[in-house]
Amino acid sequence: MTTTNGSSPNGTLVKDTAPQDGKPVVELRGAGKSYGNIRALHGVDLSVRPSQVTCVLGDNGAGKSTLIKIISGLHQHTEGEFLVDGEPVRFSTPREALDKGIATVYQDLATVPLMPVWRNFFLGSEMTKGPWPLRRLDIDRMKKTADEELRNMGIVLDDLDQPIGTLSGGQRQCVAIARAVYFGARVLILDEPTAALGVKQSGVVLKYIAAARDRGLGVIFITHNPHHAYMVGDHFSVLRLGTLELSAARSEITLEELTNHMAGGAELAALKHELAQVRGVDVEELPEESDLQVTPAAGGSSASDATR
Amino acid sequence: MDRTSRRRPRRYAAIAAATAAAALLAAGCSSSSGGKQAEEDSGTTSAGKASTPRMTVALVTHQAPGDTFWDIVRKGAQAAAAKDNIKLVYSSDPNAGNQANLVQNAIDQKVDGIAVTLAKPDAMKDVVAKAEKAGIPVVGLNSGLSDWKKLGMLEFFGQDETVAGEAFGKKLNEVGAKKAVCVIQEQGNVGLTQRCAGVKKTFDGTTETLYVNGTDMPSVKSTITAKLKQDSSIDYVVALGAPYALTAVQSVSDAGSKAKIATFDLNKDLTSAIKKGDIQFAVDQQPYLQGYLAVDSLWLYKNNGNYSGGGEQPVLTGPAFVDSSNVDTIAKFAAKGTR
Amino acid sequence: MTVTQATAPATSPSSPASPAAQRDGRTAQRSLGRRLLARPEVGALIAAVGVYVFFFAAAPAFREASALSTVLYQASVMGIMALPVALLMIGGEFDLSAGVAVTTSALTAAILSFQLSVNVWTGVVVALVVSLAVGAFNGWLLIKTGLPSFLVTLGSFLVLQGANLAVTKIFTSNVASDSISDMDGFDQAKTIFASEFSVGGVNVKITIIYWLVFAAAATWLLLRTKFGNWIFAVGGNKDSARAVGVPVNLTKIALFMGVGAGAWFVGMHLLFSFNTVQSGEGVGNEFLYIIAAVIGGCLLTGGYGSAIGPVIGAFIFGMVSQGIVYANWNPDWFKAFLGVMLLVAALVNLWVRRTATRR
Repeated sequence: MTTTNGSSPNGTLVKDTAPQDGKPVVELRGAGKSYGNIRALHGVDLSVRPSQVTCVLGDNGAGKSTLIKIISGLHQHTEGEFLVDGEPVRFSTPREALDKGIATVYQDLATVPLMPVWRNFFLGSEMTKGPWPLRRLDIDRMKKTADEELRNMGIVLDDLDQPIGTLSGGQRQCVAIARAVYFGARVLILDEPTAALGVKQSGVVLKYIAAARDRGLGVIFITHNPHHAYMVGDHFSVLRLGTLELSAARSEITLEELTNHMAGGAELAALKHELAQVRGVDVEELPEESDLQVTPAAGGSSASDATR
Repeated sequence: MDRTSRRRPRRYAAIAAATAAAALLAAGCSSSSGGKQAEEDSGTTSAGKASTPRMTVALVTHQAPGDTFWDIVRKGAQAAAAKDNIKLVYSSDPNAGNQANLVQNAIDQKVDGIAVTLAKPDAMKDVVAKAEKAGIPVVGLNSGLSDWKKLGMLEFFGQDETVAGEAFGKKLNEVGAKKAVCVIQEQGNVGLTQRCAGVKKTFDGTTETLYVNGTDMPSVKSTITAKLKQDSSIDYVVALGAPYALTAVQSVSDAGSKAKIATFDLNKDLTSAIKKGDIQFAVDQQPYLQGYLAVDSLWLYKNNGNYSGGGEQPVLTGPAFVDSSNVDTIAKFAAKGTR
Repeated sequence: MTVTQATAPATSPSSPASPAAQRDGRTAQRSLGRRLLARPEVGALIAAVGVYVFFFAAAPAFREASALSTVLYQASVMGIMALPVALLMIGGEFDLSAGVAVTTSALTAAILSFQLSVNVWTGVVVALVVSLAVGAFNGWLLIKTGLPSFLVTLGSFLVLQGANLAVTKIFTSNVASDSISDMDGFDQAKTIFASEFSVGGVNVKITIIYWLVFAAAATWLLLRTKFGNWIFAVGGNKDSARAVGVPVNLTKIALFMGVGAGAWFVGMHLLFSFNTVQSGEGVGNEFLYIIAAVIGGCLLTGGYGSAIGPVIGAFIFGMVSQGIVYANWNPDWFKAFLGVMLLVAALVNLWVRRTATRR
């Protein structure tokens, strides 16, 4: 194993050493990204604190992927600031982000399907033993550790040697999350972890997001499902056309408002009158533009007890 | 292979060069035997140069890239071109259609003469007629013994593969062979198939055919070994190219067989093998002569109106047998890559 | 840095504690037999046994130990090259220049030693450097251009094929390298690369030993080292591998250089076994290496396979191509027989794998 761990991979230790004052681990200030003359992202503020789930919502093409690519080190921002622990950074590889404790779990490429579960778990950070020419994988220890860590996250697998591709989508995501937690991630970026999953599987994944949060991790939860976001989120940022449309704490917004923002409520409201002309389209339930102003007072969250 | 023949006084320049190279590469690893250093300064076949006006001759063959045989043909052609003040344009393609295009190309360049091989005479018929219509003399070489006259060519230099094969078969009868295996290194090659067919026609014993993968020597070696083990009555291995004959020597020893080896075509290492008795004989159709005569004849035709055989008879360049009786004379030339 | 933290597993207070050995019923333990059958090389092994039994019955000459030695020799020369090619395929790439790269290596050593009249070992070392450089260049070009390896190595295949002929002609004014059999160091090098020894009256070529040793080393590399893990990962899902910090580019370049090293070794065997090298040799062999790997259970798409597989694949190929000769079937049909036998072997392999994965 190389110099991968920013901090100890031990979950409880992470929690103990995490900044208790809620200072952001990762912070974006007016950050943006241009590809040539195409501006994919502009003026985004975002902060991720330990033991908090920051949800990033937005429709396809809203700039969600660009945002996570900047934070995970795949791309570099071209404007604004990107701070980790208050220090400006600019990652050139995912490895650098990992070294700072920022781990990304991608929806479609979280794992290598044909490789056994335990190999996937340790991929890129394998445990080895022995002197150099004969340095080899410490398979027993890796299997044992992987099993323990998965159980700690509440995942029980009978056969760690089975290809990870034989697990269900939810199980795969969970292995990837457990893996990131084990390897000392302080910030976990989850790219649409529930997008391709059924209702039950999504619930399983949300449970592990909460579990990761409770272990002291800052979680960035990318999704376009406001219901999923509202179940676990502490803070919500909605992206539209590359800019931040909404940034609100859980106490400042209701699920309904969040849903309206996500559903492209503002645009729909503008269309409401036109749609009203068309017979058969029920416009009564669509929000008026006036409903969409963020009202900080609207605190009563109906779903706040969903996971706690 | 033969250490004794390599001892020659070395030139100072060569020693200096070798010393420098050795120092450059790794101290003290200069080879005390063999290598280019030991290769004699063989001298070139320069026979003066004609003062006739510069002319251009195109030589178009069906050579596949990297074939030793054609390399020697080309060397002969180049020697004649150098002597006769000829600019030689050499091109080749094993595909008959492409070869015809190359002849057309030569016609377009308005060359003074074309020498062409007729591996597939039908494919070449039209383009040869075109050349003649354009007033360019065309001579044939190597293959096409039975077709050159029909195509209206001026003359022909060569020896059919079939004729060479037949001569080979007769020689096998002379040495008392009973069962031969003909090793074809490229399945579907017309010339190689003709050689084996020729052997089969005149050889009184049985002839079997064996196909080997010519681009993979270990596989050639194993396959010949396997054949010799499968049929221990085989007493002659007929190789169709010098490198394969040399590999067959190893196969025979691996198989513990008593079979002897003979081959078509020559090269430097093969002459050493004949000297040592590893290989009994080689039949040579003198490719150098084919290239040389074809080019030279076009020069003669242009400058003096001569043509060999009077347009009726071909000029046969083989078969010439090389065995222990004459190998010493020929080895010298094979070392230069011209036999 | 070593890992010590695993000794103190943390139990998160919030994680749903589960009974120790509870199963969730989705992933029933597969039986030992099934798991064995699911190994990539088992199908090939069964096919190999089948082919062996077939020719044992059909060809009397095939039954001798010396026949096995002949088969193994051909298989070993092909198999040594099939190993790095298989690793590269597991890593998700092809190398179409592998066949001519062998010839390039042999020609480099032969021409350099001969032209400079130096000890052949100098040529051997320079050839190694050249072979590794060709491999590294292939890998570098693949990564820089992002083109499929099929295209990149097809380019280098043609370049090497042309260079083999042209450079040989420049130096030797011939199409084969000059014989270096009478030069210093030749006998020594021949002992190492191309010698043979006798076991119970049967001649065994040393390449067979190297082949098995290399296969064992490759297996160890693949299954027991970090690099092996990376090979599977870059072939199975390159982007995932990159995302978790696997040095994808380094791994791929190293795999191409591995093919270069294999080409060097086989090239040296050719040179010291046959004294000269024809510049046109090796063309088409790249497909034989790939065939050996595929028969041995490597996926064409990468991410799956073993190092034992191509060993068995090369052995099957050797058995079939020599078995046809031992059986004395009509040689005009040789290629057709070869094709049918290989197809049958591949089908048996496929059938075994399907049976194994069905549940």
